[in-house]
Amino acid sequence: MNGAVQLTLWQFLLIYLLLIVVLIIMKRAKASKTKLLFIASIRMTVQLILVGLLLQYIFEHPHPVFTVLFLAAMLVFSIHRVLSTRKDLNRRFKAGVALALGVSGLAVLIFFVCAVVGEDVFNPQYTIPLAGMIIGNAMTGVSLGLKTFMESIETQRGKIEMMVNLGLSFKTILRPFVNRALESALLPTINSMLGMGIIFLPGMMTGQILSGTLPTTAIMYQIAIMIAICASVCLSVFLSLWWGYRTLYNGDDQYIG
Amino acid sequence: MQEMLFQTKALCYQGFLEYQDIGIPENKVTFLTGESGSGKSTLLKLFNRSISPSSGSLLYRGRPIEAYDSIPLRREVSLVSQSAYLFDGTILENFETVYRLRECFLPDEAYLEKILRICMLQFPLDQPTANLSGGEKQRLYIALFLSFAPPVLLLDEPTSALDQANAHGMMENLIGFCREKKMTPIIVSHDRTLVETYQECIVELQRRNAV
Repeated sequence: MNGAVQLTLWQFLLIYLLLIVVLIIMKRAKASKTKLLFIASIRMTVQLILVGLLLQYIFEHPHPVFTVLFLAAMLVFSIHRVLSTRKDLNRRFKAGVALALGVSGLAVLIFFVCAVVGEDVFNPQYTIPLAGMIIGNAMTGVSLGLKTFMESIETQRGKIEMMVNLGLSFKTILRPFVNRALESALLPTINSMLGMGIIFLPGMMTGQILSGTLPTTAIMYQIAIMIAICASVCLSVFLSLWWGYRTLYNGDDQYIG
Repeated sequence: MQEMLFQTKALCYQGFLEYQDIGIPENKVTFLTGESGSGKSTLLKLFNRSISPSSGSLLYRGRPIEAYDSIPLRREVSLVSQSAYLFDGTILENFETVYRLRECFLPDEAYLEKILRICMLQFPLDQPTANLSGGEKQRLYIALFLSFAPPVLLLDEPTSALDQANAHGMMENLIGFCREKKMTPIIVSHDRTLVETYQECIVELQRRNAV
């Protein structure tokens, strides 16, 4: 098997012709998001060039410090992304979410790289791309879980008030909300597992096949990463909500928000 | 002097509510009145400890309210809030859910029907709650709490969605039931005639802004 065909710059630039097609159609349809598409394309290009150069440098000069720094940056960015969209969380809740993302992302990643692949966890070639997939999906899951949880609490205020007045503990009252939010956060991952291989060939597998990996090896990686993603979503959402919901009330079972 | 059920002293909540000193006796029908914003609903929440005062003292049966565990206290001092919430399903299923949540045995149907009659609800127990009117929902909500016969029953605007006849009918029955079960009702109401007809004690909250 051969590795992927090396693209020359001119060949690569050809793909932007397709983007011009999209732009023309959007202009014709008077779509309002033409400018956004333009900005998005530029941002994507610039961001990926930067990260490509950075990875290239790291791979040529591998050092544990680089891997650790890259991981830390990913985590900080994902935690920031989740928390910046949820202004309604108290400080202790936010700390719980940050901890949950860190702990579950790293735990699943280390297990994957060290135990399953059998590589050094500081090997950037494995750790960095896998971390991106694991932490990125955990971030999306936690965002969705928190959204479901906080919104259902907001819309069910009447029910919660009634249960408080019936003399029920907040633990009893809020647990079902935690369970439902966990379920809704896991559902997209489970659904994508259902369609995998039939409706589309997943990105990681496609990438490996393009670069010359045997399809039988590629599917093993794909299955492994899907399970790892599922586990990290489940763990991070569960821990976020589990540590988080306890910050909503005090020892006297009073809602403190 | 008879010991008060509730006694407050220089009670403040979050800096924006400052109460005059209030005493509420046991086994009397007490009405809380006062213009809106005078903190009537907040006072009821302080009484069942779903919130805590920022300063001042609140005694329940002569002991500071902080000395009581919140959960048993809320079952003893039962607050029926203004906004009714019902579960899906029938009237009976609502009673079943509430009793299951409280981990209590469901009383027999004759008792539940009696409670419904007290709240002026002429419905069979298998009536779905979805097609009850606003006033009927409010009365069923009261009935759910009333059925536990708590020693202290805090009612926040119990008749706000009812017409005169229903309001007076229910109040009459409710007070009768409270006497029978030796319960103390504490009622927030704006309805002048209702208050004057049934009051044995009135506490009018003064609107004061804390400094």
